Amino acid sequence: MRKTVISLICAILILVGGEIFESFFVQKQFDEFNTALTTLYLKADEEKISKEDVLAVQKVWILKKRLLHMFIPHTEIKEVDLWLSESVSYAKSGNFEEVLSKIEVLIEMCEQIPNTFKLKPENIL
Amino acid sequence: MSTIFFRTLIIFITLMVVLRLMGKRQIGEMQPFEFVVTLIIADLACIPMADVAIPLIYGLVAIITLFVLHQLFSLLENKSNLLKFIISGKPSVVIDKNGVNLKELKKNNLDISDLIEALRSQGFFSLDDVHYAIFESNGKLSTLAKENYLSNPPSIPTILINSGKINKTNLLLNGISEEDLKEVLAKRETKIPFVEVMTIDKNNKVYIKIKNKPYFTFNLKESYA
Repeated sequence: MRKTVISLICAILILVGGEIFESFFVQKQFDEFNTALTTLYLKADEEKISKEDVLAVQKVWILKKRLLHMFIPHTEIKEVDLWLSESVSYAKSGNFEEVLSKIEVLIEMCEQIPNTFKLKPENIL
Repeated sequence: MSTIFFRTLIIFITLMVVLRLMGKRQIGEMQPFEFVVTLIIADLACIPMADVAIPLIYGLVAIITLFVLHQLFSLLENKSNLLKFIISGKPSVVIDKNGVNLKELKKNNLDISDLIEALRSQGFFSLDDVHYAIFESNGKLSTLAKENYLSNPPSIPTILINSGKINKTNLLLNGISEEDLKEVLAKRETKIPFVEVMTIDKNNKVYIKIKNKPYFTFNLKESYA
């Protein structure tokens, strides 16, 4: 009986602790990435963006995604990878309109991906 | 993480309810909640293991959730008899001093042939061999044998009437016509629709249970005479 109660409490603590850590961690990673993307977007809007700027953001993302792989299905991370890679090539060719649209999608993804893991009825059902 | 927790919880509760409604037929020597855990834990472990696109944590959270639910249900079961009844059900006395209890059998989605089959696996070939038979909440059959059941001449009984319906094949196999059967029943002041169970073995020993009456046995040949 005592063993059952202790194991039950431990398991609940692991779940609650994990949930708190996961929600904060995932949100923080995407918030930081979103900030980097917003800066990139403003630069693209002013047509001052270069390939190096996008590559710098991509580098930030590569560091973040290593940890995010533990919490998010790899297919969703892959989507961000693809959009970001496209932005690099458009920035290289100076196609600012395309860069802007790609970054807009990425910003939207940064807002939506953490939402799919939040405790909401639509995510549970 | 919490999404997976609640999803696992919903699946667990749904499976529990479905399994409890299915009766004791589906469970084999396990309490319903243990059976549910066994049923889903294998898949939960396999999916993130085989699919590298799914983080391992998804499987781990679901397995820990199942562990929590299992421990919680075990605790609740020990705390109160009412909760034990709700979670695991209660034993069903399917044979008592009055004979086969068809109502209890039906409650558990079982019929006479299932009972006979379960009795056979316990080494009892006639319904008359046991004083009591109980389907435990884990689906296992417990029996209290009659003292002299081994002295009965060995023979396998066949069902003639099951819940007021004649088994024509068995009737033919035993060389009994429908008219003869009706006549035998008329002698005992009953009719086919009122007979819950009627079996006959090769020694012509008949086991009969009429609705709302205790069971009795007789020899069919002697009855003709």
